[in-house]
Amino acid sequence: MSRRRKRRSGEEVELNLAAMLDMAFQLLTFFILTFKPAPVEGQINLRLPPPVGITRAGGSDAGTDFNAKEPPKGLTTLVISAFSQRDGSLAQLAVGETPVGTLSALDNRLQTVFADKSTPFDQVIIYVGPELRYDELMRVIEVCTRQRLPDGSRLSKLSFVEMPSGG
Amino acid sequence: MSELESGEGKPNLTPILDMVFQLITFFMLVINFKSAALDLNLKLPVVGSARPVDTKGQESLLILNVDSQGDINVYGRKQPVKEYIAREAMAALIGAKRSQPDLEFGQELPTMVVIRADRTTPFKALNRVIMECQQNGFIRFALKAINREEKG
Repeated sequence: MSRRRKRRSGEEVELNLAAMLDMAFQLLTFFILTFKPAPVEGQINLRLPPPVGITRAGGSDAGTDFNAKEPPKGLTTLVISAFSQRDGSLAQLAVGETPVGTLSALDNRLQTVFADKSTPFDQVIIYVGPELRYDELMRVIEVCTRQRLPDGSRLSKLSFVEMPSGG
Repeated sequence: MSELESGEGKPNLTPILDMVFQLITFFMLVINFKSAALDLNLKLPVVGSARPVDTKGQESLLILNVDSQGDINVYGRKQPVKEYIAREAMAALIGAKRSQPDLEFGQELPTMVVIRADRTTPFKALNRVIMECQQNGFIRFALKAINREEKG
């Protein structure tokens, strides 16, 4: 008891910081070596339901209802085609059966189509060439998602269909 | 006799320790373990309108790294597309059933599929992944891209 009292009154207790500093440097080295900042990535959010047959309505195929007198009402579908070249680049675009030369022409055409409020589309299908590269496809998707629907919302619901080889 | 004269001078380690702890705190705060799930070897396409979206962790995500061959890389290992997506769909369904007990297999899953595909991936390879996801109930997708070309 008396010894402890003496030390308290006479000597200064010094912490050995060297060991703590060693450990801190090791931790620091670990964090510096494992530090890899994640790249800033953007994204385009889409709903991609599987495409539905355009001559199908109300879950029935054409000709299945014997008593039906009216022809089956098809889904109003906007078809956009993106043809690819062998190297994966974009060869040709079309809206319906109308060819459009460039992405800006596609933009103009889609604006005209969506401005017509009398024909709201049930689905938008993009037919894509099998070799089309992802970056080329994203340019087409970017143009599509820029469009405003008659209700004011942006087009975010698409369906993809792969063209047969050679398309 | 001063410390210098006696040759017993001790450096004051407290400031350096303070600085080191501050650096450690900084690195601990900025470390992001989620980035381990990202395959940083992929070259994402450049799309000007692609914007970062912060879901604030409230949305369950399925991140698919699709390389130029159409294979899925998970933590650096290739996974079979069909089996991997089916397994993840089952896990997503089990997770979603906690909040929606009526949810059945084949119905739309609330999980968002984040596709990080290489810019050279042909559509036929990408479409195989997308169709597999659709068949397992995934409808919501996020296609990843970068805003501008990275230097280097």
